[in-house]
Amino acid sequence: MEQQFVPIHRKESLGEDGMLFVRNDGVIDTMVKVPLLVASVIIVAAIIPIQSSFSSPRTLDLIIYPDGSTHVSTEIDVDSLASDYELELFGNTIDNLVVVDENEFLLDADVLDDYALIGTFGSSVISVEYDIHDLVSKQGRVWTFSLDAPSDFTLLLPKNSAIVGMTNLPIDMKLINEQNQLTLSRGQTEIDYLFSTPTIFDPIEPIDTTSKSDYLLYSIIGGVVAAIVGVIIAITKTKQKTVKPVEEIQTIQTKQKDEIIDTETIFKLKPDIREDDKEIVKFISNNGGQVLESELRKKFLQPRTTMWRAVKRLERNGIIEIEKKDLQNLVKLRNDMEEEE
Amino acid sequence: MKTLAIFTIFVLIFGTASTSLVSDAYAQNDLNILVRIAGQADTQINNQLTTSYGADRTQWPSDIESLYVKGHAAVESISNSLPDNPEQAKKDFLIAMKSFREISKILSEPVTESKVTSSDVSDKHLSSQLDRIEKYVKTLKTISEKHGSDVDFVQVDILIREARVQVDNGVEDPSETIDQLKRLINSIQKEIREYTSHGASDRVKQFVNKQLDNIERKLVKALDADADQTQIDNAYQLIDEIRNLISENQIDNAKFVFHELNKLLKNIERSVR
Repeated sequence: MEQQFVPIHRKESLGEDGMLFVRNDGVIDTMVKVPLLVASVIIVAAIIPIQSSFSSPRTLDLIIYPDGSTHVSTEIDVDSLASDYELELFGNTIDNLVVVDENEFLLDADVLDDYALIGTFGSSVISVEYDIHDLVSKQGRVWTFSLDAPSDFTLLLPKNSAIVGMTNLPIDMKLINEQNQLTLSRGQTEIDYLFSTPTIFDPIEPIDTTSKSDYLLYSIIGGVVAAIVGVIIAITKTKQKTVKPVEEIQTIQTKQKDEIIDTETIFKLKPDIREDDKEIVKFISNNGGQVLESELRKKFLQPRTTMWRAVKRLERNGIIEIEKKDLQNLVKLRNDMEEEE
Repeated sequence: MKTLAIFTIFVLIFGTASTSLVSDAYAQNDLNILVRIAGQADTQINNQLTTSYGADRTQWPSDIESLYVKGHAAVESISNSLPDNPEQAKKDFLIAMKSFREISKILSEPVTESKVTSSDVSDKHLSSQLDRIEKYVKTLKTISEKHGSDVDFVQVDILIREARVQVDNGVEDPSETIDQLKRLINSIQKEIREYTSHGASDRVKQFVNKQLDNIERKLVKALDADADQTQIDNAYQLIDEIRNLISENQIDNAKFVFHELNKLLKNIERSVR
């Protein structure tokens, strides 16, 4: 049977008199407008960064010293055709102002209240460093850093300081020489910090932020890796199959049980222990002085990170010790506990 | 043309999409630090409260206790909200930090102020002052080395070490050493400035000469646009003066007159608009 192909578009394009009808009234407009539109978009996209680049800091880094004074270092793009640049300082109590250009030439700078008039004379980038005493205030034990930043910036807090309040979300946080360095967004920022208790930096377990679409791939890779590890462990165990006598294990367990300090003694030695942590200690004690971290999570219905933090807190307090057992954390009460100072 | 347009649109769309992908990944990295900062603040506030009011929460003032419960619950909620609900985690973070902030404000009222001793503050101040001076000296050393100057920093280093020992021991008063240090640093800064002045002068000369040519071109245009003849004449006088000063190597004076010329030029430009 012979098939007849009917071109759909052609059929639709035919007019009543059978002539081919081509709609052409918008073609010229479109041909002219599209490139114009595209060119406009490109120009706008190109201009935005240029507009924002002049006179806005490339980098802005702040270091807070223990007495609340702050070191500011910033790099700024300036107009190379201008003879000077007026820099707005973050206050008017300025010390140790140094301005250099891209060739490390010392530039003249006159400070007038909270402005510095810098003789740039053809420089395109200037680096400014100064110390300022206006950014941190102190009330009682709380130190408050406050800044309306013209750009994103980094802030290095003093040693042994701990943040106890802040007004906006940080972009990043790093640990540099036992000091917290925050990266913060432009705009008004206030951060409260204290000195008293030395800060202990918890290496928080990374939060799984994997998108769901990646789960399949990762589970396949994970499965393969797990299988390989499993095979290796099985082979190793087969080779080293030396089982301890049952009696010996029992003796060790009895010995451990005898050596466990009772919870009342622990709480006397460590009076500052948190109530929720006391419950964990009691549970470990009732379990013969040792328990897997996963069992703690099940018992207290806590997320992994929260329980991990609690366990690390107890470890820091010298109440427990953590051992690795079959790739899991075994939490054990310490029997050589020392009284809190 | 059509192909070019499609290609450009594709590039723009891809560029925009790729940027948003990057920022999305960037935002996801942030989530860890929310837990970390809020967790630290929680521990710190708990320690402060325990120190001030004891471990038994029933002994804590009710307003503080309720603020702490709110903050602590928000910290727990951050962990629970992640990774599925980052927006909630961010809200919880701000709630937690706001609560802890309020607690710390209450704790820092005059009752607890006496706990910070004046000697602590004084030691911190002197130590910080030394830190700042050291950083300043480091910057000056970098500039000095960059220009190959033979400025001697040995005495500065000795004084810094001496002051540091005095601060750490707390026996001798380091104020005199620090003052001496400051005076020495001032003279070093002058020395460096003088050493680099030749290069700086050349740079200023080059800049001013280039700018004077531009300004002369602008003055010709301003004259064509019927600008005030007297102002134009004054501008030319200033240009001549600057050229003379530069030829006599009077750079600071030249800089001063150049500023005057710029002001005048702005007036002229304003008048012809």
